[in-house]
Amino acid sequence: MTSSPPAVLELSGITKHFGDITANRAIDWSLNAGRIYALLGENGAGKSTLMSILAGRYQPDAGTIRRQGRTVRFQSPAQALAAGIGMVYQRFMLVAPLSVAENIRLHGAAGRSRSDRQGASIRELAVRYGLAVDPDALVQDLSMGERQRVEILKLLNRRADILIFDEPTAVLTHTEIAGLFEVFQRLRDEGKTIVFITHKLEEVMAVADEIAVMRRGRMVARLAAADVRSQHDLARLMVGREIILNVDKPPAAPGETVLAVSGLSGPAGSSRPGFEEIAFEVRRGEILAIIGVAGNGQEDLAAGLAGLTPLKTGRLTFKGRRWRAPQWGRKPHEGIAYIPADRDRTASVGAIDLVENFMLTQLAVFSRALRLDRRRAAAATAAAVERFAIRGGGLKAPAGNLSGGNLQKLVLARELARHPDLLLAEQPTQGLDVRATEAVWQALLHQRAASAVLLITGDLKEALSLADRIAVIFRGRILDTIAARDSAAIDRIKLLMAGLETG
Amino acid sequence: MAWRIEKRAAGHGAAPWWTLPASFAMALAVGALIFALLGHNPVAAYGAMARGAVGSFYHFSEVLVRAIPLMLTGLAVALAATMLLWNIGCEGQLVWGGIAAAGVGLFVAPHLPEVLVLPAVILAGAAGGALWALIPAVLKAYLAVNEILSSLLLNYIAIIFMEHLYFGPWRNPEGFGFPGTAQIDEVARLPHWGATRVHLGLGLALVLALLLFGALRRTPWGYRVRVIGHNPQAARYAGFRLRRHVIGVMLLSGALAGLAGMAEVSGIHFRLQQGLAVGYGYDGIIVAWLARLNPLAVPFTALLLGALIVGGEQLQSSLHLPSSISMVLEAVLLFGLLLSEALARYRLVRRASAQPLRRQGEPTPP
Ligand SMILES: Nc1ncnc2c1ncn2[C@@H]1O[C@H](COP(=O)(O)OP(=O)(O)OP(=O)(O)O)[C@@H](O)[C@H]1O
Ligand SMILES: [Mg+2]
Repeated sequence: MTSSPPAVLELSGITKHFGDITANRAIDWSLNAGRIYALLGENGAGKSTLMSILAGRYQPDAGTIRRQGRTVRFQSPAQALAAGIGMVYQRFMLVAPLSVAENIRLHGAAGRSRSDRQGASIRELAVRYGLAVDPDALVQDLSMGERQRVEILKLLNRRADILIFDEPTAVLTHTEIAGLFEVFQRLRDEGKTIVFITHKLEEVMAVADEIAVMRRGRMVARLAAADVRSQHDLARLMVGREIILNVDKPPAAPGETVLAVSGLSGPAGSSRPGFEEIAFEVRRGEILAIIGVAGNGQEDLAAGLAGLTPLKTGRLTFKGRRWRAPQWGRKPHEGIAYIPADRDRTASVGAIDLVENFMLTQLAVFSRALRLDRRRAAAATAAAVERFAIRGGGLKAPAGNLSGGNLQKLVLARELARHPDLLLAEQPTQGLDVRATEAVWQALLHQRAASAVLLITGDLKEALSLADRIAVIFRGRILDTIAARDSAAIDRIKLLMAGLETG
Repeated sequence: MAWRIEKRAAGHGAAPWWTLPASFAMALAVGALIFALLGHNPVAAYGAMARGAVGSFYHFSEVLVRAIPLMLTGLAVALAATMLLWNIGCEGQLVWGGIAAAGVGLFVAPHLPEVLVLPAVILAGAAGGALWALIPAVLKAYLAVNEILSSLLLNYIAIIFMEHLYFGPWRNPEGFGFPGTAQIDEVARLPHWGATRVHLGLGLALVLALLLFGALRRTPWGYRVRVIGHNPQAARYAGFRLRRHVIGVMLLSGALAGLAGMAEVSGIHFRLQQGLAVGYGYDGIIVAWLARLNPLAVPFTALLLGALIVGGEQLQSSLHLPSSISMVLEAVLLFGLLLSEALARYRLVRRASAQPLRRQGEPTPP
C-alpha cells in the first residue's frame, strides 16, 4: 500500500470453489473511495463470482473482506447493503407492474418514510446524480437505461457508497452508455466507489480510473488507467495475446431469397407499439443487419419472425412459400434457427446439463425413433465446447452454472449446428469477451455461405463488421437500408438510429 | 474457532442424499413425543409397529398389498409434477379406475372370450382414470383453470358417483342390503401370489415404474416433459406444444391412478364397495415427494408408507391406540421432508467467527 487514503474495501486471499471449479483463487484487491474500477477478464474468469462475494450473494471459502479496516462477513445481500455495498445485476431485479417509487420503496428497509416524502427524496437523489427518471412511471414502460437508473437509485436510497455493476453497458445504447458514464463520474466525485465489469475495452479507456484483470480465477493485473497506452495492451493482458477484433469479410455472393417480408406489423394482442410496415428480404449468402437502439421494436420483430409471438398484419415468403402474418406463428418453421437475446430464460434450461441443452432445438436430430441419442448429442456438444472454448464444469454440468459468456457461446454453437436456411441472431455477442466475439463473428461469416443471416443488433461495429446491408430501425419502422460497403454511410446510420434523420 | 451456519450458493444441483433419512428421523422423534403424551412407551409402540409391519411373512405381505396402489398413485403424482402439474385428483381418478374395472368385470366380461377379460379390465381401469383426469387437463390447457382446485374438487364428485352406483343401480340384488356390487368373476381378478393378498398389480406397478423412469430420461417425450417442467419459456422457444403435453401427461397420470383403483377392485375387493377411496390418491403425493419425483424411488417410498400404515393399524389392536396415529406419522414425515429440504439450503461451516459490520443508525437487516 502506498500513501493513498485507506481502502474502503480490502480483499485478501478470497477463494471460491464451485465443486471442482475454482472460480476465484487467492484474490487480493483494495478499493478506494472516489475511484472508478473496471474489472476485465475472459468469459468464465470469475468476475461475476467475485462481485457476488462482495455483494453478499456468495460467501468465500477462504479469505477475508475488510470494510474500512474492519473484518466483515456478509451472509446475505441485505447485510452487504447495510454495510454500504450494493450491486446492480445484469438481469435487473425490478417489479415491472409497479412504479419507480414503489420499486425503490420495496427495496428500502421496511416501514420507512411515507410515500410522498419518498417521492421527494427520490427526485432529490435523481437530480443530484443526473439519474433522470419519473418516480411515478411504471417500470414496465421504461427503457433498459431507465430501469438501470432505477436500480442505481435503489442502492443510493439505501446509502450505498460502493456500487457494483455486472456488465452494465451490455443492454444499453450508445447514448445511454454515455449517460451512465456521466453518472459514474458524478458518483465518483461525490466520493463513492464504482466497480464495473465490462468486455468493451473502449469503455475502460473512456471512464475507468483503475483497471483490474482476471484470468482463470486469478487477479493477474491491477493498474492505473493512466498507465495503459492502448486497447491493444489491455487485450494482451486479458487473453494473453493481441486481438484487434477485425474480421475479413469477403464479398457476399447472394443466392436465392430465403425470407421476404412486406407490410409486417406486430405483435398482435399486445398494447406495445411493436413494429409497423416492416419490409425487407434476405438472401442465402448474405447478412442483413437490423440495427437500432434497444426498445425500438426490433426485439418484438425478432420474436415475431421466430414464431414466438403472433404477428398482426403483412405477408411473408419463406423458402418460396407464402404466408399471411397471422398464420406465421402457428407452427414452428423448419429451417429457422433463432438465437434470442435472453439466453438464461429463453434459450437455455439452467437445471439440465450441457448435452441436454444442446438438444433443446435439435430434438429430431438427436433422437432415433423413441430414443434420445445421448451419445451422439454428447459428441456434438463436445465438438461445440472445443470449437468455442466453452469453459466450466464439463458436459454434465448444469447449464445454469456456466458464466454468462459461456452460456451464450453454447446457445450460439447449438443454433449454428442446425445449419438453418435462415439464422436469426439477436445480440449474438452480448457478454462475450474479445476472443469469443471474434470467434463468433467468424462463425457467423462462415455460416453466411450456407444460410441467410438476419442479424439484429444495437452494436454498430458488429453491424459494420458482419453485414452486407444494414437496415436501421427506429420507433418500430425501418427508416432506410444501406449497403455496408458505403463507408460514408456510418454517420448517416448513427443519425438514423437516433431518429435525427428520416429515411 | 466457531461453528456457523451459512447459506449455500444457489446452485442447480439436487438436494443432498440425507434429506430423506433426516426427515424420517424427525418423524420418528415427533412420533415418539406423541406416544409419550398418549401415555405409551415410544419404544414399545414402535416395536409394535415394526412387528405389525415386518414381524412375519403375512404382515409383510400386507405391506406389499398397501404399497401397490401407493406405487401407482405415487407414479401418477410424480409424472405430473415433473411437468409442474399438481394432480391432486388421484383419489377421484382411482375411484373412476375402480368403477370402470368393476363395470367391465360385471357387465362386459360375460360377453368376452376368457383370455381377453383381464386385459379388458386392466385397460378399462386405466381409461377410467385417464378420462377423469382429462377434465382438469382440458380446463388447464384451454382455459388456464388451476388444476389443483379442479382435480381436487372432482375427487368428491367421483366418490359420490361411485356411492350412488353401489347403493343404487349397481347394488348386488343378492347382497342382503349390503352396499356394494356383486363380485366380479374369477377370470376378471388379478392372479395372487400364493395364499397372500399380494396380486399381479405389484408386478404391473414395478414394470410401470421402470418404464416411466426410462421414458422420462431416455425418450424425446420425456425430455420435453422435463424441459417444460423446468422452463416453459424455453420449451416454447424450442417449439414444444405445451397444451398437447399438458393433456398427454394428465391423461397418463390419470391412467396410473386409475390402475390403482383397478388393482384394488380386481385384486383385493373384487367389487365396488365402501373402502375403495381410503386416501391412496392423497398418499401418492407424499410417496412422490419422498421419492423426489424419481419413478425408480417410488416403489421404495411406497413400501415405507405402506409399512407405516400397516404398522399403525397394528397399534390399534395391540395398544388400543387410534389407527389414525399412522396418518399423524405420515403428516410428520412430510413436514420433516419439507423441513430438511429447507435445511439443506444451509451448511455448517467451521471458521473463525466474525461479526457482520453494521453502520450506526442503520436498521438491522431482516
Ligand atoms: N453457481 C455456480 N455453480 C457452479 N459453477 C459456477 C457457478 N457460478 C459460476 N460458476 C463457474 O465459475 C466460473 C466463473 O464464473 P463467473 O460467472 O464468475 O465468470 P465471469 O468472469 O463472470 O464470466 P462472463 O464474462 O462469461 O460472465 C465459471 O467457470 C463458472 O462456470
Ligand atoms: Mg459474468
